[in-house]
Amino acid sequence: MSRISLAFSSFFGLLFGGQLPDSVITALGLSRRAGRPDTKAPAATAAPKVDVSDGALQLLALLQRDARLLDFLMEDVSPYSDEQVGAAVRNIHESSRATLQRYLSLQPVIDGVEGAVTQLSAAGVLKNDPGAIKLLGNVPADGNVKAGTLRHKGWKVEKIELPALPPKANLKILAPAEIEVE
Amino acid sequence: MVIGIDLGTTNSALAFGEEDAVQPFPVEQVVQPGEVRAEELLPSFVYLPGPKDFAEGATALPWDENPKYIVGTLARRRGAETLGRLVSSAKSWLSYAGIDRNEAFLPVHAPDGVPKISPVEASRAYLEHLNEAWQQAGNAPLAEHSVVLTVPASFDVVARQLTERAAHEAGLKNVVLLEEPQAAFYSWLAKHPDWREIVGPGNRILIIDIGGGTTDFTLIDVKDQSGTLGLERVAVGDHILLGGDNMDLALARHLEAGLAAKNTKLDAQQLQALWQQCRAAKEALLDPSANWTEQSVTILGRGSSLVGGTIKTKLTRAEVEEILVEGFFPSCSFTEEPQRVRRSALQELALPYASDARITAHLAHFVKSGGAAPTHVLFNGGVLRAGLVRERILATLNSWLPQPLTVLDGEDLMLAVARGAAYYGFARQGKGIRIRGGVPRTYYVGIEDAMPAVPGMPPPMKALTIVPFGMEEGAAHQFPGRKFGLYVGEPVEFRIFSSTERRGDEAGALLDPMPRDLHELPAMEMTLAPTPKSPGGLVPVTLESHVTATGVLELYCVAASGDRWKLEFSVRERKS
Repeated sequence: MSRISLAFSSFFGLLFGGQLPDSVITALGLSRRAGRPDTKAPAATAAPKVDVSDGALQLLALLQRDARLLDFLMEDVSPYSDEQVGAAVRNIHESSRATLQRYLSLQPVIDGVEGAVTQLSAAGVLKNDPGAIKLLGNVPADGNVKAGTLRHKGWKVEKIELPALPPKANLKILAPAEIEVE
Repeated sequence: MVIGIDLGTTNSALAFGEEDAVQPFPVEQVVQPGEVRAEELLPSFVYLPGPKDFAEGATALPWDENPKYIVGTLARRRGAETLGRLVSSAKSWLSYAGIDRNEAFLPVHAPDGVPKISPVEASRAYLEHLNEAWQQAGNAPLAEHSVVLTVPASFDVVARQLTERAAHEAGLKNVVLLEEPQAAFYSWLAKHPDWREIVGPGNRILIIDIGGGTTDFTLIDVKDQSGTLGLERVAVGDHILLGGDNMDLALARHLEAGLAAKNTKLDAQQLQALWQQCRAAKEALLDPSANWTEQSVTILGRGSSLVGGTIKTKLTRAEVEEILVEGFFPSCSFTEEPQRVRRSALQELALPYASDARITAHLAHFVKSGGAAPTHVLFNGGVLRAGLVRERILATLNSWLPQPLTVLDGEDLMLAVARGAAYYGFARQGKGIRIRGGVPRTYYVGIEDAMPAVPGMPPPMKALTIVPFGMEEGAAHQFPGRKFGLYVGEPVEFRIFSSTERRGDEAGALLDPMPRDLHELPAMEMTLAPTPKSPGGLVPVTLESHVTATGVLELYCVAASGDRWKLEFSVRERKS
């Protein structure tokens, strides 16, 4: 095995397989520690569990399916005129928004007027949650603030209603390849 | 509880209710692979899935893990990508006499090996889906309710019978058919309890119903019936296969041609997208309250080159007016007649679309044949949501008539038929006024002249009127003067003809020679089964026509002994 192909085999083997490929091990005269293949086996046969990232992948797939958002974000738009990009965006914006509104119920954290003096209590039960309200500017040392100027209303999800996933769905497929038979 | 079902060419809907409160029923359906949602309309499409079309379980419904057919939104969506497996416009096929409607021939262009279905089977699939969705929502099966099912007024007796059969096969039991324009009018009546102050005796209401695939006209008269107001349906138009889909397609083809001139080619899916966008753009441009002069139409690039491949064009108000208003609704004189183009004999299997796209010309023909001038007009159907189209039709009508028409304000033009059907259910229970009407056509049996045969010439035909126009439910007619000699055990065939325009022929009237403008239906046939009183040989019989309580037309052969034999429409269709 040449040095270059050895290097690539090792690199991609580690990147995608998590271990050195057999060909590299043989070429370099190495040996694997026993037990390693066994530790992988039970993981592969375990029942598919619902992962927190499942919803994220599903939402991405939905946005791609209904609005082709991935196609848009992954495309290099630098060669195209603003007009060309704008024409596409109008379409994508409309369908992305419809998709978000269908599956998520989005609300502002504070339903107020941006630029106006606003009480933190307007956030209701979230008024003491630093994750829900970000304090900016001259915040006193003890962090106790009652009111300030609302700069951004924030976003929160009230309800998520994603469609139930079929048991055998491969969530890593965000969009299928399409092959047309002539 | 009464249920109304609008079994439409492109969309179906169900409405239900008690007494005064009729509401639409959102129908659960698969909208995307793996996603079931309730929508107000069930698109009337069936997709016949191939083995590799969907992941396992992706088409599961709450009541069926692995449906044989996909019905509704997903069928329409997926079918646009794989047309060979999509069944659409089953209802138009149901009324097409040029083919055996029980035969499984849909989709017409399916690849070899795809199991096809018949138009009756497709209609059954829509009704069965509605039935299942209805039960899934916790209701008793539709078989336990009385159901009003709407059909185009122009459906002939065979198309009506096939619709009833589809309903029975879908598990519906108490089914009454109602004409769609009448349903739209019932919906209007329900919205206007004071209707007696809006219309009066001597008024004649013209109903114009333009759906996705068909155009249907009806006339209803307001009559004084010993002091109270009565309503009577006095005329229906012929079946015109022309609707909103044709209009959207015309716009899409126009833009496609413009793009092709600039060397931009669209594939099948992009054409589909163009079609959808044209529909939306058309509605925006034809809305008189919004002053759009143009709408941009954008088709995103195929594949992952989205922005780079985006095609941008626009539809102007002038183009829409030119193509739609001038193409489908041109101002025309009252003397105008729709053009009937002779079709080539070598034509592939296709629906008999109207050869003249001018709806106004069809309307002129209908209003002329209807006799007295209408005084009011009611619009129904998705196309007529466009204000400009309504205005054009109204202006054209008014240019023909002595008095300008009064427009009866409709309501939701998409759901009026299903709602109206449910209201009719109450009217049948005696809880509201019923439109009288009876059978909307005149039916004839063809009788060959007893003349020496001339080689190469068909024998001249006469037509005996067996069902006069407007024959009412429960009525019967006998024709003792005309005897037919039939042999026991031998099959016989009666040629049946109909007309929507000859409304003056009385029962028993003999038309000699037979007028040319009668439409021939599939023949009625039967074999005279032996009975104790007629064990064999020649039996003289007379004909009897009968309309059942639910409006079904039946024909019998009756012998002097009292024996009766029912005639059935042939499943083999007559090729004309």
